[in-house]
Amino acid sequence: MNYAFRFNVVWDHFPELMNGALLTIELSATAMAMGLGLAVLCAYGKSAGPRPVRWLLAGYVELIRNTPFLVQIFIFYFSLPMIGIRLTANSAALAAMTINLGAYASEILRAGIEAVPRGQVEAARALGLRRLQIFRSIIIFPALKAVYPALTSQFILVMLSSSVVSTISAVELTAVTNSLQSTTFRSFEFYFVAMGLYFAMSLGFRASLSVIYWAAFERSR
Amino acid sequence: MRKLFKLFVVVVLAVAPTILAAYPARAENTLDRILKEKKIRVAIDVANPPFGILDSSGQPDGSDVAVARQMAKDLGVELEFVQVPSTGRIPSLLAGRADVTIASISITADRAKTVMFCNPDGALLIVILGPKSLAIAAPADLAGKRIGITRATLEEATVPKMAPQGTNIVWFDEIGATIQALVSGQVDAVALTSFAGSAVASANPGKQIETKLIVTTAYYAPIVRPGDFELRQWINTWIFLNTQNGTLAALYKKYTGVNLPPLPVF
Repeated sequence: MNYAFRFNVVWDHFPELMNGALLTIELSATAMAMGLGLAVLCAYGKSAGPRPVRWLLAGYVELIRNTPFLVQIFIFYFSLPMIGIRLTANSAALAAMTINLGAYASEILRAGIEAVPRGQVEAARALGLRRLQIFRSIIIFPALKAVYPALTSQFILVMLSSSVVSTISAVELTAVTNSLQSTTFRSFEFYFVAMGLYFAMSLGFRASLSVIYWAAFERSR
Repeated sequence: MRKLFKLFVVVVLAVAPTILAAYPARAENTLDRILKEKKIRVAIDVANPPFGILDSSGQPDGSDVAVARQMAKDLGVELEFVQVPSTGRIPSLLAGRADVTIASISITADRAKTVMFCNPDGALLIVILGPKSLAIAAPADLAGKRIGITRATLEEATVPKMAPQGTNIVWFDEIGATIQALVSGQVDAVALTSFAGSAVASANPGKQIETKLIVTTAYYAPIVRPGDFELRQWINTWIFLNTQNGTLAALYKKYTGVNLPPLPVF
């Protein structure tokens, strides 16, 4: 194979790549925060809600976990306008990412909640704590701590799968990379650099999530 | 132990000539390899009507596909399709996944820096398409509108240059997504080939989609890797012969419904 690499083309366009990476970070970080919030709400609804709510939540989780992310994105961007809900590419991407992460994270949280000893919940009830208080202090906090590593992996996965949203014209890192490689034809160079940027972002998110873990669970000890 | 060593020597001596014979003295070119393996790998884009589509049974069809089939038949080799998205038409060729790409790739000076064009085997028109209610009569009217275009197409190379300041260009990875964006109203207008345009218009009669502007006329050609002169020369010969005997014109008419304009050569 006698391919002549020309990385100088990539460095000429590096600011554009960084703009794309910035949108990837924004979308991912927002989806992580909102997705986790959604997952906690689902967990509460599942443990304390009336039966129809529990069925509805179970349906949501199964529907999202058993359909492709790409199809979910298409529905948010291309199908919702048919019923009058018009989202921009970025909002459609964010909504799809949040709803997708919410389903997966609520399943991960369920495992953590099941690991909380029943005795603790019964003790809290005997002490007269209300439902929401029990959920907040006895169930969700230890559960989050127990499943934090699994949640971290899911968060990173959401960041990586955000590359798919370029298909609906959101201009994140993969979209910028695709545009640049198709106008300069230096596909190897651009994809290599994009890979490096994704790897760096993964490491950055992992580090930030570790700091959040320390701040939330370790510092108080 | 010595017996084993002897056996090893015998095996090496027996195998060595076959291994050495696998490396010919002269570097083998792509055309030689195609003829020897009796197989040509052709990259096609089946999401680009009417040049490349999937028929009702999921098989590749369209004018590019028909050209590839006829070419492989005349070359006397088996045909293997490598289906790629429009963004993958050049990278997959450069990565060696295909020997030639036949996917209505318009000839541009920029692309020719990376791949070698054969002589053109067809022509197409790039147009701006929008609903009847949208007022676009000149390029200046594109300002403030959301115009959907597909990456790695001729639209990408031409529309941004003619669009005035303030045009909001929205990029999609596939022509299908661009069309869907127009139909669902996510963009005001799109740039497509005139053929894709008329297919979209007739498939969505309720939307009253019409041609607003003609952006450019372009010739498209098969592409090969830089240095594959032998393969390029064979394809050019094939294009010459099939221009003369009318096969190219017949295939073009069959899929696009219009007459093939005279094809220049270079």
